[in-house]
Amino acid sequence: MSKSQVRKDKNPMNFSRATAFLKSIAASFFLSAALFMLVCSLAQAQKLLTEEGGGQALTALTRLQSNSTAPTPHNADGTPDLSGLWGPDKNFMYDISSALKPGETLPLQEWAAKASKEHMSKDDPNVRCRPSGIPRMTPYPWKIIQTPKLIVFLYEGGTHGYRQIFLDGRSHSKDLDPTYYGESIGHWEGDTLVVDTIGFNDVFWFDGAGHPHTEKLHIIERVRRPDLGHLTMDVTIDDPGAYTRPFTVYGHMAQLVNTEIMEYICDENNVDLPHIVGKDSRK
Amino acid sequence: MLSGLNFQPARFGLWPAIFVLFIISVPVLAHHSFQAEYDAAKPLTLTGTVTKLEWTNPHARFYVEVKDPSGKVTTWNFELASPNVLRRLGWNRDMMKPGDVVTVKGHRAKDDSTWANANSVTLSDGRTMSAGSSADEASAAPTSK
Repeated sequence: MSKSQVRKDKNPMNFSRATAFLKSIAASFFLSAALFMLVCSLAQAQKLLTEEGGGQALTALTRLQSNSTAPTPHNADGTPDLSGLWGPDKNFMYDISSALKPGETLPLQEWAAKASKEHMSKDDPNVRCRPSGIPRMTPYPWKIIQTPKLIVFLYEGGTHGYRQIFLDGRSHSKDLDPTYYGESIGHWEGDTLVVDTIGFNDVFWFDGAGHPHTEKLHIIERVRRPDLGHLTMDVTIDDPGAYTRPFTVYGHMAQLVNTEIMEYICDENNVDLPHIVGKDSRK
Repeated sequence: MLSGLNFQPARFGLWPAIFVLFIISVPVLAHHSFQAEYDAAKPLTLTGTVTKLEWTNPHARFYVEVKDPSGKVTTWNFELASPNVLRRLGWNRDMMKPGDVVTVKGHRAKDDSTWANANSVTLSDGRTMSAGSSADEASAAPTSK
């Protein structure tokens, strides 16, 4: 083999290595860019919720969020159209203290603080397939159906239940039997739906953290749709039986698209209970 | 675009692995707490034969017979998310049948039984599906305050 042949053979090899190196760089750059774009799109989806004051979207439903900032739709009578499919705010699932204003704490009475600590997940009514009550949410979508005199919330989870909010001018019933969702009467204050609910039982917990309440519970929700893709719900909880003063938790829900609420009959095969030994510490 | 490139994993470094991990780490949902029932410090990966799939609420469940090196067979009961969540993740009830050999990644129950929470399942056709586990729902959440 002559020297010139060696050189000839060597040069293409160098060229080949350099090409492979450049291809690797290009491919790594492409993958990095794809990953970066994915992370940015997810971060953006979450940010739209959090900028309004502290909601936590459910990660597994994030890719179904519309994230639309288009104008709020309105009905012929001028009221905002709240109808649609909504995702839960995790702050209303795990621990409602996460939904307070920054720096606030839940004004629990002594017995209620003790009960919260003692409530273990195996005893959680929602884990036992009981309805979630208000304002608790479950890790499933829910739907608002709106008519001028009646608004209905349909829940896929917690458990396959519904709420009726009457806007026909009626007053609260007297001598209500205590129930999971109580009796809800609504009216409009500008673009805000104000819902007054009484008649609760003391069975459900406010969250997975086990925060209790009594039959004295009175809830006022203020619901707004600031744009097409978002819903806010300020929930003022007044229960002189378990809390030292009224307090407000702030929920933020995202519109979901390309899915539908589906049937979810929780007690069909709920066989976890004997294996649940601890408590959820998530916030 | 990538097909024309000379795919050499060593030269890509960790990016492909990170990318794939990111894609398959979509969390799973549960109507109860992951932490109250399963132990994040007890991860497991098992390969075995499916004996039964329960496409039920609040959780789909499946049973896998796993043979250890001595030949002893243990039946594991794995929890998936609810059928609704699984459908939103691309599953259907015909994807796992008795007799299928699957590989499951997940976490054991705190009570040390053969009860476990599935995080991902590699099906007999080679597809790896997220099982919708709530294992990392909390850690993935943005903190907004």
